Amino acid sequence: MKGTYLGEFEELVLLTVGILFDDAYGLAIADEFEKQTDRNVMISSVHKALVRLEEKGYLKSHLGGATATRGGRDKRLYTLTQAGIKVLNQSKELRNSMYKQVPRIVWGS
Amino acid sequence: MRKENNPPKLFLKFFRWYCNDHLSDAVLGDMIELYFRRKKKLGKRKADLLFVWNVLCFLQLFAIKRKPLPQNNIAMFENYLKIAWRTMARQKMYTGIKVGGFAIGLATCMLIFLFIRNEISYDKQYANQHIYRVYNDWRGPDGGAWTSFPANIHTILKNDYGEVEKSARLIPYKWFNAGSNLMRRDDRVDNTYEEGFAYADNDLLDILDVPLIYGNRSQALTKPMSIVLSKKMADKYFPNEDPVGKIIILNEEKTKPFVVGGVMRDFPANAHIHYEFFITLANVEFWPGEQTSWCCWNYNAYVKLRPDTDIPSFEKKLTSMRETYLVSYLEKAGDQSVTDIKKYHFFGLQPVEDIYLKSGKINDENQHGDMRYIWLFGGIAVFILILACINFINLSTAKSANRAKEVGLRKVVGSARSYLVNQFLTESLVYSFVSFALAVVLVILVMPFFNSLSGKQLSIPWITWWLLPSLCVGAIMAGVIAGIYPAFYLSAFKPVDVLKGSLSRGSKSSTMRGAMVIFQFTTSIILIIGTFIIYKQMNFILHAKIGFNKDQIIMIQGANTLERQHDAFKNELKQLAEVENTTSNNYLPVYGTNRDQNGLWKEGKQKIDKPVYGQFWYVDEDYIPTLGMKLVEGRNFDEKLKSDSASIIINQALARAMGYKKSVGERMGNGRTYHVIGVVEDFHFDTMKGEIRPLCMVMGKGGNIVSVKVKSKNMATALSSINKVWDKFMPHQPFRYTFLDESYARMYDDVDRMGRIFASFAGLAIIVACLGLFALSAFMVEQRSKEISIRLVMGASVRNVFRLLTQNFVKLVLISFLIAAPISWYMMDKWLEDYKYKITITWDVFMVSGVVSVMIALLTISYQSISAALANPATTLRSE
Repeated sequence: MKGTYLGEFEELVLLTVGILFDDAYGLAIADEFEKQTDRNVMISSVHKALVRLEEKGYLKSHLGGATATRGGRDKRLYTLTQAGIKVLNQSKELRNSMYKQVPRIVWGS
Repeated sequence: MRKENNPPKLFLKFFRWYCNDHLSDAVLGDMIELYFRRKKKLGKRKADLLFVWNVLCFLQLFAIKRKPLPQNNIAMFENYLKIAWRTMARQKMYTGIKVGGFAIGLATCMLIFLFIRNEISYDKQYANQHIYRVYNDWRGPDGGAWTSFPANIHTILKNDYGEVEKSARLIPYKWFNAGSNLMRRDDRVDNTYEEGFAYADNDLLDILDVPLIYGNRSQALTKPMSIVLSKKMADKYFPNEDPVGKIIILNEEKTKPFVVGGVMRDFPANAHIHYEFFITLANVEFWPGEQTSWCCWNYNAYVKLRPDTDIPSFEKKLTSMRETYLVSYLEKAGDQSVTDIKKYHFFGLQPVEDIYLKSGKINDENQHGDMRYIWLFGGIAVFILILACINFINLSTAKSANRAKEVGLRKVVGSARSYLVNQFLTESLVYSFVSFALAVVLVILVMPFFNSLSGKQLSIPWITWWLLPSLCVGAIMAGVIAGIYPAFYLSAFKPVDVLKGSLSRGSKSSTMRGAMVIFQFTTSIILIIGTFIIYKQMNFILHAKIGFNKDQIIMIQGANTLERQHDAFKNELKQLAEVENTTSNNYLPVYGTNRDQNGLWKEGKQKIDKPVYGQFWYVDEDYIPTLGMKLVEGRNFDEKLKSDSASIIINQALARAMGYKKSVGERMGNGRTYHVIGVVEDFHFDTMKGEIRPLCMVMGKGGNIVSVKVKSKNMATALSSINKVWDKFMPHQPFRYTFLDESYARMYDDVDRMGRIFASFAGLAIIVACLGLFALSAFMVEQRSKEISIRLVMGASVRNVFRLLTQNFVKLVLISFLIAAPISWYMMDKWLEDYKYKITITWDVFMVSGVVSVMIALLTISYQSISAALANPATTLRSE
């Protein structure tokens, strides 16, 4: 088992998969990611992250939903696993708790 | 989707090639979706470029195909091997023929390879480079080259030419003590006969880099009367001691003892000379003035040159030797050949490592290999290997019908063509490795036979590092080459055709198979015809009218030690009931006896005419009757006539050369003048390769060899009574004899050897070709068994069926014969050109060879054909 540490990019991809819910496949994820973050992303990086996340057990996938625009090829559709949801929650809680500990003075007026 | 809408196909394929199955489809879908979106927005060109960029971006570890797991592969190969084994075991005859034929071909190739390797390895062992042999190059009509020089050649070379670092002489002929001698240590009594003596200068040891075991190389032969022994001889005469300084007596000449100056390592088998003894030339003078005169040419010369010498220009420079020494000598003697010599006589240099194989026109005493035979044998070996490979291919494709179902089924359950190719190549490799192993065993078994055939001492070089790897590489290559056609042929079957049963059963390649059979038989028939002609020539030589009677003659060797007892010994032999006649001399019409070439002139013409060169032999009055030669004119020598010491008998060739109409009464000589009293019919005293040359005989006593003509057929008792006489005269010398007819036959050893080698090759080729034919006919019969059965049921006779099955093959053999006949005629005509006295190639040779090959082919096929024709048709037809 590889390390379960979640990188920033991976976390965002994981969230995007969550957002797209039942139509989360490579290209759609990339589109949504760009829309949400205003960052350009290579489709290969997205797929790389998806493969890694699946290996870590945060995502699962199945084939389906072929369309003519894809040359009749199946999509690989990703959904969050329980572990994926859990790791997102942990990450969010970690951020919240750390955020709270920052002294007010830091935020300025 | 239209074609021009698609992304670049090449990269599509590329992506599918490298990407793993998990992602391939999904990612490609994504990329195509993206591609069409971009095409709408940015145009095709940009979309294409971006697509390519995308494809390249995916070239990362996570997306690339993993290698298939290794266990899987091994399992596959295990399966291939198992199937190969089962196929082999199921068809024992075919397997036997495939493997056996291939092994025979391979074994032949291996033997020939070892032979050729040995032939080209001669004289490569010297540490010195730039060592050469000097030779005379006659660039006139009937040009030739020879290696003998006058006695002072080495000092001239050394002193007159700065290029020469070292020069040395060698006397390789049977001459004085060179050749063979009786030998003993001075503290022993009994003599032993030894061969391999030569005279040499001390520098020869240095030039030829002869390693010394005892003694010092720089002075082993510098002292007069010193001798160097080989290790073998030192071990024989001086076991376990240092022989340097010990005394050796030759031929009982106690006044001239030799002192051992050193012991040299035995010459390796692949050196151009193999001497056991070197006698020094220091202070040697065979007759007064011999060492400085240019009269007599008896020495070979070796030189070591400075590394920067340019050979062609040095050869040109050597011509000055002709002017300074030879021409001035001849002019002083008033010799008329001087004008020719000025025009035609040149000198050449031959690298020592070329002596064995590339001597060509240079005439010398050494044993030579022949480059042509190397090419010939190499060619034949390759041909036999090709024949074996053809069997392999032929049988594999012929049996394809039986494998077709297997191929079809494998394809149906998902085997790719490449897997099938792999499978058949694996199978072929298995065959190849088994054949190689078998071939090595064959080589080991056949090696002693082959050695006696080729007169070599070959062995498998087990200890060399390259043997096993090269055998493995060879097996792999042979397996792949032989297997590649069947592999592609078999794997190309369409499963639908095969499983429907509509595949034409191996008939598609029948033309191909026919061509291969023709090739095999053409080769075989050429070899058969070659063998026939060589044997006929050999037979011709052995039974031709040779001008003397070689049968029933015993040659007693080493008789020179009889000295004054020669006549007494001869007379005592003549008393024996078994002996018809006996003669004593050094000159006999077989190899290994003396030759003496002289210039001959008519009386008083020595300073006017060019000489006629001829043999000058000393014989006694019993010579001509003992050897059964025929006098065509005049009379034989008569011991009682005092005047016969100045008489001479010439042969017909000399009479012609001299231009005599009636020879008896003419006067001629070699400086001294003789009176011609008789003409002897021409007899062969050289091989039949050359014409009979001029020869004359004068009276002389003594000699090395006493020849005894035996009357009775019982050779054993004759020998024992002759032996008794010998022991009475020479109690300390072993009785040593040879038979004249055997010595005569030995002159043609090379022809005989060629004949036997050709016969073996022809035999091998025929065996391989017949194995193939046998298997093919078996296959044909199997294929047509139903047809035959139906024909039999319908009333065809056994003969009809037999003809049906054989006629095709016989036709092929006949075609082969038509191709082979002219080729072999041309080749053998070339071979016979070497001989002055030869057979003419007649049609009966071709006739016999043709009939023989057709008979062999018929016999091979008929076993299968007849058994098919005699089979009960019911058994074959019932199974349907």
